[in-house]
Amino acid sequence: MKFAHLADCHIGAWRDPRLRQLNIKAFERAADICIDKKVDFVLISGDLFNTSLPAIDGLKAAVKTLKQLKQKGIRIYIIAGSHDFSPSGKTMLDVLEEAELVVNVVKGNVEDEKLKLRFTVDEKTGAKITGMLGKRAMLEKTYYERLDLELLEKEEGFKIFMFHTALTELKPKSLEKMDSSPVSMLPKGFDYYAGGHVHIVKETSLEGYKNIVYPGPLFPTSFSELEELGRGTFYIYDDGKIECMPVQVINILSLRIDCNHKTPDQIEQELKREIQNKEFINTIITIRLKGTLKSGKISDIPLKEIFDELYEKSAFFVMKNTSGLLTKDFEEIKISQHSVEEIEDNLIQEHIAQSKLDIDKAEQLELVKNLLKTLNAEKQEGERNIDFESRLKQEAIDTIKLDKEFN
Amino acid sequence: MVKGRIIGGEFGNILVRQKSDAELELGELLVASTPQSKILMQVIDLVYGSQISQQNLELISGMKLEEDADLELMDENLRNYNLAALKNLITIKGDSARLSKSLPSFFSEVKQVEKEDIKFLTKPKNPLYLGKLRSGSKTLDVDIFLNGEDVFSHHILIPATTGKGKSNLTSCVLWNSTGNDYCGNLVLDPHDEYYGRNNLGLKDHPNKDRVSYYTPKNPPQGAKTLRINIKSLKPPHFNGVAAFSDAQRQAISAYYRAFKENWIEAVLLEKPLKVKFHEDTLAVVARRLISLLDIEVDEENLVCNDIFVDNGAETTTNDICDELENSKTVIIDTSNFSGAVEILVGSLVSTEIFRRYRNYKMKGQLKDKPVISIIIEEAPRVLGKEVLEQGPNVFASIAREGRKFRIGLTAITQLPSLIPREILANMNTKIILGIEMAPERQSIIESAAQDLSSDNRTIASLDVGEAIISSNFAKFAIPVKIPLFEELVKQNQKKEDVQINFSGVKVV
Repeated sequence: MKFAHLADCHIGAWRDPRLRQLNIKAFERAADICIDKKVDFVLISGDLFNTSLPAIDGLKAAVKTLKQLKQKGIRIYIIAGSHDFSPSGKTMLDVLEEAELVVNVVKGNVEDEKLKLRFTVDEKTGAKITGMLGKRAMLEKTYYERLDLELLEKEEGFKIFMFHTALTELKPKSLEKMDSSPVSMLPKGFDYYAGGHVHIVKETSLEGYKNIVYPGPLFPTSFSELEELGRGTFYIYDDGKIECMPVQVINILSLRIDCNHKTPDQIEQELKREIQNKEFINTIITIRLKGTLKSGKISDIPLKEIFDELYEKSAFFVMKNTSGLLTKDFEEIKISQHSVEEIEDNLIQEHIAQSKLDIDKAEQLELVKNLLKTLNAEKQEGERNIDFESRLKQEAIDTIKLDKEFN
Repeated sequence: MVKGRIIGGEFGNILVRQKSDAELELGELLVASTPQSKILMQVIDLVYGSQISQQNLELISGMKLEEDADLELMDENLRNYNLAALKNLITIKGDSARLSKSLPSFFSEVKQVEKEDIKFLTKPKNPLYLGKLRSGSKTLDVDIFLNGEDVFSHHILIPATTGKGKSNLTSCVLWNSTGNDYCGNLVLDPHDEYYGRNNLGLKDHPNKDRVSYYTPKNPPQGAKTLRINIKSLKPPHFNGVAAFSDAQRQAISAYYRAFKENWIEAVLLEKPLKVKFHEDTLAVVARRLISLLDIEVDEENLVCNDIFVDNGAETTTNDICDELENSKTVIIDTSNFSGAVEILVGSLVSTEIFRRYRNYKMKGQLKDKPVISIIIEEAPRVLGKEVLEQGPNVFASIAREGRKFRIGLTAITQLPSLIPREILANMNTKIILGIEMAPERQSIIESAAQDLSSDNRTIASLDVGEAIISSNFAKFAIPVKIPLFEELVKQNQKKEDVQINFSGVKVV
């Protein structure tokens, strides 16, 4: 049995069209490798898309690639992730499933308040696949708490569990604040645990749980991931052998400059030394400046000039991060390095504390996050304003479960 | 109900003649009146009294025993009786109470204590329920609460002989404090009994989302596998865990300075240091770490066999501390650990949370944080005189100064006499269960918040589940009946009626 395990493709993640194209390219490259390696099937453990209703260009490219895999007889099993799950149930993954391009394995029924997941059997190999979708802020936790583990554990055969959740026991220190769930929430005794959500590349086993694999994103989705991962990855399982496959669609060069006790001139010189006599064809360059300047202001560093020079040397894309750069005058100012999601979470948590709604705090959190997600939807290409408005309204009504009052 | 009449005695030892149809017990609470107030008293001793001389009593009993004489005493209820010695507990005026400084009226009646008499026992802010008020062996329908925030931060001692209900009491305290925002509990559980893996326990709590369970083996659904990355361990965590010589400590410090978080790996792989140490010193340090952490060295690699690992589990300590700061009860199953490993795990987490709270105090944020209570079984292992003679450890530091940082210990022991007096004195609440050994009782009496000098016999006679709470936060040493944990759970279990909408799961 040979299968590929991808996760966190995040098609449509980057705002810049050049980088956004790289997400698609990475997905296409991974599909090519899967075809070359003659895998029996492909698992995508959540976040194929960056939103539940992706833009047309990314969707079109994804459909083309999925179709290509299908034509080669390679079935694709998916679960929804925290980004492409929709609380109102309107996600493009459903459309892809209707079109028989993918199979969503999160299916089952509820009996005696227990969630009883069912297996999807891969016809070619007999592998039994099931899994749990991912939601934002670990809101899938309640699903796991109600999950009938025994039912899944007693099933015989080669079993795969797909999940889109951070596991507490495997969380790296850098993701310490990320919501997570203990591994004991997963059913024991499966042959492969196909993880997603955490953008780390890790393959490990714990007592009762062998082959827990996080393949990492198919292409880095943030500045720091570009620096740390340098490329995308996925895994191929081949009769017990697990191999990490790099997906290199572009070169990435990360420049980190320690700016402590340096003047803007010195930093400029240092940057120039780093880039002199080099070409940067097909390369993304990240520049991170960190520390406290000896004198001058951050704007005294001629970054635009450096950028221009890099583009002249054929750089594909240049990015900078100066969030850790301070001047002496402003040393006491705290720079928040949280992600947008973390800031959002903190704000919601603070406001929930003051809320007078007569519902459980966890439910309030879920409600607010779902509503935010719904209202964050972008207008689709060709969609009329009036249609967009009514779609948003309807989804918001669905999310806050006021359909009876409004319809 | 009248139980007797005051006939003499002195302050702290008031003599009462028991009414013939009443039955007084050691520890029973009684009320007598003065013109302005009521005085709450407690029976500390019981003796016989008789109007017939001892000689005559001996003669009459001999006649009954030896000659089977059909003798009856005239007015037996008047002539033979019981006498009880009472101590003053508190003077009650209306709804308030203060320490007793006067005697009740001579020859006044003493009555059974009623709910009305003890209205001053109110429910404090942040109430920690400890049980029902007890009068002798009778349980009164009066709930006893202490201010949990004060009690936890000023340390609790639970001394008792085996079988007197230490575990039951601890389970009840944990149950009643879990789910409250004012405190987080860290439980080092050497018998794996508090979570209730296979029976009733904190997993059955209505706020079970506020209970976090770490176990090294076979975690039940929702529990976490206890693994600790060796990079989390710092030299001070070993204080009180392993007795290193000065040279060995210096070597450890040198490794930590040179290799920071990778110091254990460096010691075990014998990486060179700039400072020179005798090779035997380094070998002993390495050997002890290997033995304690159950790590093997395979050429250039470490092979971790137990909970201490070199891969993964990087956030365990911080996760636990975060949970405590979020007012959760964190139970660590240490039942498979050696004593030293259990203490090392406790030391690691306690040191980290203590460090955080010191930091919060410095920043003026401490008042917003919940009190942390660290529950330690067999407390003399870390607070015993012998252990502390070998050097300080974090638990002793917490015992001495933790209350300033809102961190308290709940120390459980059969042998309180092994704990130094100054630490015992710092344990401002003592929930005393039955103690049969006199030296152990003595150590508790000498360090109690109230004068228990006349309660020696009462403490010895405490039955299973009966306790006396002596606390700086109680007006008198309160006799209580601790509820049975199983009954507490059954009373408080609520049926979950939350309907979950499993959106995203395709129904088949």
